[in-house]
Amino acid sequence: MEKDLHKNGYVIETHDLNLWYGSKQALMDINIKIQRNKVTALIGPSGCGKSTLLRCFNRLNDLIPECKITGEVFFNGKNIYNGSSDIVNIRKNNGMVFQKPNPFPKSIYENVAYGPQTHMIRKKKELDKIVETTLKKAALWEEVNDRLHESALGLSGGQQQRLCIARALSVEPEVILMDEPCSALDPIATGKIENLINELKENYTVVIVTHNMQQAARVSDYAGFMYLGKLIEFDETLKIFENPSNELTENYITGRFG
Amino acid sequence: MLETRKLYNLDKFEPYQVVSWIGILIVAIVTVNLLNAIFINLIYFFEQGNVEQSIIYLVFLLILVIYLFLYIYINQFVKKIYISVLFTIFFSILFSLTKNSITEMFLPLSFETFVYILVLGFLLLFLFVFIVEKVANERIIISVLFFSAAFAVIVISFILLFLIGEAFPIVEQFGFFNFLLGVRWESENPPLEYGAIPLIWATMVTAFGGIIISVPISLAVAIFIAEIAPYRVQLLVKPIVELLAGIPSVVIGFFGLLILVPFLQEPLPGFYFLPSGSSSFAGMLILAIMALPTITSVAEDAISAVPRSYKEGSLAVGATNWQTISRVTVPTAISGITAAIILGMGRAIGETMAVMMVMGNTPIITFNIFEGMQAITGTLAVEMAEAGFGTTHYHALFGLAAILLVITLGINFLSVVIIDHMKISYRKKPNDTPFSHFMEKNSSIILISMFILTLGIVWLFLSATLSPIGAISVYMIIGLIIVAKRKIYDNLQAKTKQYFAYSLIMFAVFIMLLVVFWVISQIFFGGLPAISLDFLTNNPVGTKGGIFPVIIGTILLVIGTILFAMPIGVSAAIYLVEYQKEGRLTKIIRTGFDLLNGTPSIVYGLFGYAFFVLYLNWGISLLAGQITLGLMILPTVLRTTEEALKSVPQTVREGSLALGATKWQTIRRVVLPPAFPGVLTGAILGIGRAAGETAPILFTAAVFFNPGNEIPSSLFDPVYALPYHLYQLTAYAATKQLRYGTALVLLVLVAMFYLIAIIIRNYYRKRIQW
Repeated sequence: MEKDLHKNGYVIETHDLNLWYGSKQALMDINIKIQRNKVTALIGPSGCGKSTLLRCFNRLNDLIPECKITGEVFFNGKNIYNGSSDIVNIRKNNGMVFQKPNPFPKSIYENVAYGPQTHMIRKKKELDKIVETTLKKAALWEEVNDRLHESALGLSGGQQQRLCIARALSVEPEVILMDEPCSALDPIATGKIENLINELKENYTVVIVTHNMQQAARVSDYAGFMYLGKLIEFDETLKIFENPSNELTENYITGRFG
Repeated sequence: MLETRKLYNLDKFEPYQVVSWIGILIVAIVTVNLLNAIFINLIYFFEQGNVEQSIIYLVFLLILVIYLFLYIYINQFVKKIYISVLFTIFFSILFSLTKNSITEMFLPLSFETFVYILVLGFLLLFLFVFIVEKVANERIIISVLFFSAAFAVIVISFILLFLIGEAFPIVEQFGFFNFLLGVRWESENPPLEYGAIPLIWATMVTAFGGIIISVPISLAVAIFIAEIAPYRVQLLVKPIVELLAGIPSVVIGFFGLLILVPFLQEPLPGFYFLPSGSSSFAGMLILAIMALPTITSVAEDAISAVPRSYKEGSLAVGATNWQTISRVTVPTAISGITAAIILGMGRAIGETMAVMMVMGNTPIITFNIFEGMQAITGTLAVEMAEAGFGTTHYHALFGLAAILLVITLGINFLSVVIIDHMKISYRKKPNDTPFSHFMEKNSSIILISMFILTLGIVWLFLSATLSPIGAISVYMIIGLIIVAKRKIYDNLQAKTKQYFAYSLIMFAVFIMLLVVFWVISQIFFGGLPAISLDFLTNNPVGTKGGIFPVIIGTILLVIGTILFAMPIGVSAAIYLVEYQKEGRLTKIIRTGFDLLNGTPSIVYGLFGYAFFVLYLNWGISLLAGQITLGLMILPTVLRTTEEALKSVPQTVREGSLALGATKWQTIRRVVLPPAFPGVLTGAILGIGRAAGETAPILFTAAVFFNPGNEIPSSLFDPVYALPYHLYQLTAYAATKQLRYGTALVLLVLVAMFYLIAIIIRNYYRKRIQW
């Protein structure tokens, strides 16, 4: 199986990735390697291309008609922008959690069961099990197990976001892509999610985009600093924050601009 | 030096204020009409050479003008009172000198002139209010705007009451239950019976059938436009749907009668399908064509409004496009889609001309949809002209109109209830009404009984239409399809299912395009040979000749319609958007306009006939047609103006008020100008609709044969009009050329209006980027 072959390789790798929105270039020659079972953070000022890069990993940029890409993005050694690649499978394996929690206007149960159902899991017993497991993994089970069939829109912001994480987990991805998952949440909910990320990295690879440097420092093992579409520096988080090699990185870290 | 103006607390609606508003409005109307009356008298006496009276009226006029001038420009309230008192004294003295009584002052005026004065006064009032800023005292403005808004409520109540009033005698002349529940309608050969059931039956069956045919196709097209089509294709398909919406109903009826019905009879040479194409089935097809654009556009709006984040959330889990559409997008938009279907249903039930021309018009109750039936609307259109004023037949027809109005209003009301119910189910708390509890507890029983009921009803229709064997075979086929779905389809891969679903959708889009193309090409190629300069500029000679006065008549009707509907509609919209906070009052006003919107066009026509033509004794007249059409497009004007006003950002208003401008100044100078294109678009859409409608002018304004007086010389003359002309041509033995030519001219005229509206809309959309 592909996973075994690349157990020691990088789970996601990009090769001279360039992206244009129409005529404006948003990503320039990105070469990044994401390690398996680690948390990688993408940091940088607004508009530098972090979310755009993240959305390349699960080809969600395809939804934007004016978007053009050159270069390659490898997932477990295979180029996902190859004509023959299976988008549905790629997205299943790279789950995404969005900036603003977006649970469907359905019940909590249905939200989590949606993923497995689209992948042909029908039996109620199986679905029940998946719902319970993922809600527990997302640290939400205790709070909602007595109201699984109520509307998901009735949950608080933090709960909704954890529900979205559970939904992403329900299809057993290898990678979880998080696009500023805590920016719409209060500090307590943020803390809960950060703890969750720490637990998740045992079984999953996490790539998190954040404009909150302190969060990146708390949560990630590796960090990549991006500025105006370029990947300026990529290294272990400790090194980036204590001893950055690039002057631009240092200026950002120390708050000279941002 | 800037004057400080007294700012009124206009945001709270206080009931006692209505009294002062009524007072101000009355004073305003009286003043303007007084001005008019004095002016007319002056001219009258001047022409007669009566110097003494002329001078007196001249003095009146001057004094009135001076008074108005002083009133407007002097700001202190106390001084205003002084002037008014002074003026009243002075005026009374002068008036006694003329030795005329008040009524005698109006004597030189014929009834016609009086109407002209009223119309003029009405227009002048709006002109004053909108243009002359000094007069635009906030109180006057608000009264005028408020009454425009309340106008709809007043009118719809009036129409309803009037209709019921005209219908009521049927209760004593024939019996309430005999009428409502009678199963035989015979209005020509004695024994005469006026049972409404066959007509109600025909209306409901044909409308339901039309909706059943139309909904799958409309939904598919809506999904296609909103979710599947690439941007360029969207730009192409959307206008085609709007084009179909713009085709006047009489043109579609024309197409139905001359092309569809013979096609149903003999689809291929030698191969016969129906003995007579005129049938309920033909009606269903025609209604499907007419309801399609309505359902498609509203459903497409609802689907596009689903937040993109839901789509992304679904795709991010590895769902295919089709899975996202069917499991997330469409369920989220279901309340809007339901609204679309119900709107389509209302349209289908209220449709007159098109169904009347293809349904065969035999009032029978049958389950065989291949037989002819007679709908309520068809009955009204065909029989109203023959029914003598005050006869039982006349009252029975109004009873039918009342029933129709109740059905359509009921459907509108139902749609609001259903949609509110649906919206609640996705709120924070689950549905907690007694109704939902009842439904939950007995859900299985309810579902089973509804299922059996549906099966039974469908069986009745199928066995009557096709024969019992045919019905059994249809059921067997359906059973096979269900089994095939479970065994084969459900086990397919998601990608394959998407392919399958997309093919079905493309097929539906193809059918829609085919229909539009078929209708338009038939009329275009059939009518082109008839078009010549002679045709367009000559008068008709019997059933031959040109259609010049017909075109003029349509234009006259349209001008009057706009002059009536625009001031009221725009004022009402301004009131609702700018002055009144959302609350009970706005809800009532909006309901009034919604009800006006849902009223079928034939009901307007009947009301216009009974009230303007008969009751006010105007006879068949241009003015009656203009007002009737104006009432009909009022809701359209209101809605588009509201949208245009709402699109102006709140920050712009705040900026103006922060500089010390009054609310009305802000509206006039800062809000209305950028909203103007939207208002204009609404006006032109209204014009397009008014130009194409037949039912409202059927008995109120239009004539077919009026040699020597083809172009009306006064507002009270009848007029030729394109839709009516086309309708009569199809009934009389006219040449194919003439018929198609008239249809083509009508189509082109309406298309031109819509095109202009779209161009204006696109042009201004680019210029004004907030």
